[in-house]
Amino acid sequence: MKKNTFYLVFGCIALALLAIFWYSVELHIPLLIEIAFIVGIVLVYLAKRKVTDMINDERDVKITEQATARTMQVFWVVFCAFSIGAVMEILHIPEFPRQASPIRPPVLLPPRMMGYIQLGLLCLMIFLYVGFRIYYAKKYGDFETDEE
Amino acid sequence: MEILKPMKNKIKIFRAMHNLTQEHLAQAIGVNRQTILAIEKEKYIPSLDLAFKISRYFGVNIEEVFIFDEKTPTIIS
Repeated sequence: MKKNTFYLVFGCIALALLAIFWYSVELHIPLLIEIAFIVGIVLVYLAKRKVTDMINDERDVKITEQATARTMQVFWVVFCAFSIGAVMEILHIPEFPRQASPIRPPVLLPPRMMGYIQLGLLCLMIFLYVGFRIYYAKKYGDFETDEE
Repeated sequence: MEILKPMKNKIKIFRAMHNLTQEHLAQAIGVNRQTILAIEKEKYIPSLDLAFKISRYFGVNIEEVFIFDEKTPTIIS
C-alpha cells in the first residue's frame, strides 16, 4: 500500500468514528463508540503495517519515544492530582466529635462533571504530545533547511 | 541532565567525493533523507549500527567518518 492510500484509509476511519460517535450520543450508548474506537485504532495499525514506502528510521523512533515519555511524565502528575482529589471525595472520614445524625453519604462528582474533566485530561494529553513532538522534532533537526 | 559529547562527522565530504545526494545515501542505508541532513548538521547522533552502515557504505573505517571529540563536553537538558 502506498503512503497516500494509507492517509486516505486513515481519513475514512476517522470520519466513520466521528459518525459512530454522533450516533452513540444520539442513542446514549457509550459502549458503541468505545468498541468502535478500539476497532478503528486496530485497523489503522493494520493498515500502517501494509505501507511500503514509509520509512520509520531510528531518529523517528527516538522522537516518538522522547515525546511519549515526556507526555506521560507530565500527564501522570496531573492525572494523579485529579485522582487523589476524586479518592478524597469517596472516602468517608468520620467527624469528631461524632454527631448523633446518621452518616452522610459521600459526595460524588456528577457524571457530567466527570465527563468534562476527562475531556480536559484527554485534550491536555493530545496537546502535550503534539507540543513535545514538535519540540523533539526541532531538536533532532526536522526543520533544518536544506542546502541541496 | 544529560552530558552529550559532540560527535563530528565528515558525511558531507564523503558524499561530495562519491557524488551522492542525501536522498541517494538515505535510500542506500534505509533511512529518511531528513535523518542524513540532521546527522550532517550534528543535530542528531546516529546509533552505532547506523554509523557503521554509513561508513561501510563509503568503504572506510568508522573513525574516518565520525570523530569523537571528548575534550569539549556539552551539557544539554
